[in-house]
Amino acid sequence: MNLALLQEWLLTDGVADDLNELVRRTVADEIDNLVPDEEPRPQLDWPRLLLAGSTLARSQTRTYQEAALRIATGALTLGASREVKDAGAILCEKLANARAVTLADDRGYLESNLHGRLGVAMRLEAERRKIDQSVLVRSSGDWLPVNDFQLRFWSSAGDHGWLSASAPTASGKTFLVLQWLVEQMRSGAAKVALYLAPTRALVSEIEEQLQMLLGDSKIGVSSLPLRDRYDASLQGSVQQILVFTQERLHLLANAVGDAFQIDLLVVDEAHKIGDHQRGVVLQDAIERVERANPTMNVVFISPATQNPEELLADAPPGVGTTSVDSDSPTVLQNLIVAEQVPGKPKLWRLTARARSGDLQVGVLQLASKASTLRKRLALIAAAAGERGGTLVYANGAAEAEEVAELISQIIPERGLDDELTELADLARKGVHRNFRLAPLVEKGVAFHYGNMPSLIRLEIERLFKGGKIRFLVCTSTLIEGVNLACRTIVLRGPRKGKGRPMEAHDFWNLAGRAGRWGNEFQGNIICIDPGDQNAWPTGVPERARYPIRRESDAVLDRGEGLSDYLNRRNTVPLSELAREADEFEQVGAFLLTTYLRLGSITRANFAKRHDASALEKIDVSLSELAGNIEISAELAGRHPGVSAVGMQGLLNAFRAYENDPANLLPAEVESFDSYDRFVTIMRRINEYLYPAFEPDSAVKLHALIVVQWLQGMSLARMIQKTIDYQKELGREIKLPALIRNTMDLVEQTARFKAPKYLSAYMDILNLHLREIGREDLIDDGLDIGTQLEFGISSRTLLSLMELGLSRMSAVVLYEKIARDDLDKPACIQWIEERSEELEALEIPAIIAREVREKVRIQKGVSFQ
Amino acid sequence: MPAHPISLGPMHFAKKGDALAYLKQLLYKYDLGDRLSDKDAEVLMAALNRHPDAKVKIGPGVADFSVRTADFGSRCFWVNRTDGTTEKFSLNACVWH
Repeated sequence: MNLALLQEWLLTDGVADDLNELVRRTVADEIDNLVPDEEPRPQLDWPRLLLAGSTLARSQTRTYQEAALRIATGALTLGASREVKDAGAILCEKLANARAVTLADDRGYLESNLHGRLGVAMRLEAERRKIDQSVLVRSSGDWLPVNDFQLRFWSSAGDHGWLSASAPTASGKTFLVLQWLVEQMRSGAAKVALYLAPTRALVSEIEEQLQMLLGDSKIGVSSLPLRDRYDASLQGSVQQILVFTQERLHLLANAVGDAFQIDLLVVDEAHKIGDHQRGVVLQDAIERVERANPTMNVVFISPATQNPEELLADAPPGVGTTSVDSDSPTVLQNLIVAEQVPGKPKLWRLTARARSGDLQVGVLQLASKASTLRKRLALIAAAAGERGGTLVYANGAAEAEEVAELISQIIPERGLDDELTELADLARKGVHRNFRLAPLVEKGVAFHYGNMPSLIRLEIERLFKGGKIRFLVCTSTLIEGVNLACRTIVLRGPRKGKGRPMEAHDFWNLAGRAGRWGNEFQGNIICIDPGDQNAWPTGVPERARYPIRRESDAVLDRGEGLSDYLNRRNTVPLSELAREADEFEQVGAFLLTTYLRLGSITRANFAKRHDASALEKIDVSLSELAGNIEISAELAGRHPGVSAVGMQGLLNAFRAYENDPANLLPAEVESFDSYDRFVTIMRRINEYLYPAFEPDSAVKLHALIVVQWLQGMSLARMIQKTIDYQKELGREIKLPALIRNTMDLVEQTARFKAPKYLSAYMDILNLHLREIGREDLIDDGLDIGTQLEFGISSRTLLSLMELGLSRMSAVVLYEKIARDDLDKPACIQWIEERSEELEALEIPAIIAREVREKVRIQKGVSFQ
Repeated sequence: MPAHPISLGPMHFAKKGDALAYLKQLLYKYDLGDRLSDKDAEVLMAALNRHPDAKVKIGPGVADFSVRTADFGSRCFWVNRTDGTTEKFSLNACVWH
């Protein structure tokens, strides 16, 4: 019998019964409020199990490794004797899982001096393993313990120009990539590094982690696309890590121009190159950086993907490529389904889905009858995850708030906590005095969604990680790339976005967050009502990995639709193309820009993946469009996702405009005309560029939000003004929805659509003004895109954000600063002079903490 | 009732209705948020001078005029004063007074 056969036999026959019993016990150990088991459990044969575990650990197959990890974890946490626990620890080490051993040590499962108890041969072997499973961080001289995936990443990353790394959540990807990035900077291998992350939430998280890793080093970290800072790092000795979304990258590249130098590019959540509408903007960003820096190093990171090598397909010729792929588990992930015991609405049967089939874990006792679906989610989460670290997935922000409210009513009270009180204070002052989050966090419950101000969201995440927030109800923001792990995740009929059932790979990307490697031994995924067709149309998904497919490739392969759209794009009004525009406009714009740059899309990098005759057909449509376009490829390339056809239409409209061209410009935000001017500009954008601010009846609201945002108004004031306005009109106020809608408008309109389309508007307008000899009207100051992205219009506010402050903190502080023209050093001085009095100025404690921390970091960077 | 001719700066109208129609056409010649050209401002200044509250509306002096929204989403001429304040005014009041 060879090893593979032996391993298969062990699982299916050899230790199958013992393993099943082990699954039952380890899972039951994780769940609170189980009805006590009356029957005695069978004994486990530990020596036999551990021997099987050490055989299974030699396999690279996920199922075998999982079984070995289950045995190791069971031995550590359930084993009755010191010998069994020691053997469990050694088995963990064999699985390259040093963090689990450290955790067992911290929790007191192991007696000290484990290696001292081993025989000489085993001790030597353990030492060798320790060396094999560590990497040397040259800049600090430290040895970093790593798992197999991390080891392969570390040894490959230096040797290849382009690398694509894929591993399941909780494999320590981000941790290691950040370590590696810092190492590259410290060793001088890179002067300017760019870290692309798909969401602002992830950008803030990565920025903060990098700052913590770098400490007071000379290396700067910035998420602001500001030219001054970039120029300073190129000219001087200051190294920079830029952490941007794809949109921010384009803002900086537009400001800097062709000579945009980047030595090292990291693309996080790189599978999002396939996302509808923003995928192509990411692809464009990567290609743009690559065109300017053909020799830079590139690292792609993605969660469990089927084909990480796909991201390397467009590497420049001659550049070495490699992919590092892993499917190994680092923590046990228990997939558990919950079904009501017939006729007993307070009792729910929990069943673990194991390789060998379904295993009964026990019966969960709820505090109350689960009479509605939301109550069901709340009650099951509150009971099963009472000890905390429990994440509940809700479909949408409104549902998240309601479920959190329900949970808060059931869970046992705990005393007041300073940090929770401070967060509640921030929620009340930063959003609204009746914001639902505030009373909830005081009880250790929170909700979390994408449009929330980042300072509040980050604090929620921090307190959840630290255990003070015990229940967190979240939305699909978590699949969009926030690195937040949990102990238990509870779901019922998860949807992605508006109503679309979650696909298997999205489900597993989310579910994969169960299990905090190094903090817990196991993670639990509890799926409610697995047999309900409405909740789970295709059942609870089997483990699956993302297929990586560029949005552009997917659209190109859709056949006739794209050509038809392009053929009609110049002649049919956009309002009549609405449905097709949603599908084809972004990629169509990308193709047209490519055509303008290369003269044919058959010369593009992506051409090798498509049928030549199909591309030639699209070329014909593009050539037709290009015949009417005077917009240069360079100008079109500055605005990914905005079609050159639309830009030309807008240019034509400017040329036909008969009044004073000064009226085409946005007015100063403080002026009386500003709001009305934005109304008109947004209507022009809707008519010529893209119907981004439709329907027309909503334009005024969009314009109002944009003006308030640019005026540097706080979210709290914007919400209060909307309330006052609604009251004036005699309308009923539904506060939770009003708060959510305002947050949504800020994020989606003021910070996403408005910068995208207003940047293009201004570029075309400036072109027109130069054509008619009115350069005097062109403002060379901070571009409108950057102003909108950050919601700033004064030098002081910009300087405060340059310190790395969140907008919320910057705005609160700006309200206390009289002058609007302070530069960064002047802002630091203002803060330092009042450092001890911030709370006395009625600044919320969390904001005061952020302010002091950022000033400390800035001083460290500036004065070393 | 006999028609009353009316002059607004360089513009002369056979009757007040024509003057009002001209001003309204002027109002819609612009987009929301636009400032008026000097030529059109001259006509509008003459109209504003006829307003029953002209003194209050003009205040310390007129810098220029804008087209902006007013209550209930309607479109209106606004006078921007030299002291940085602004106020809307009714064309009907300017013409029929």
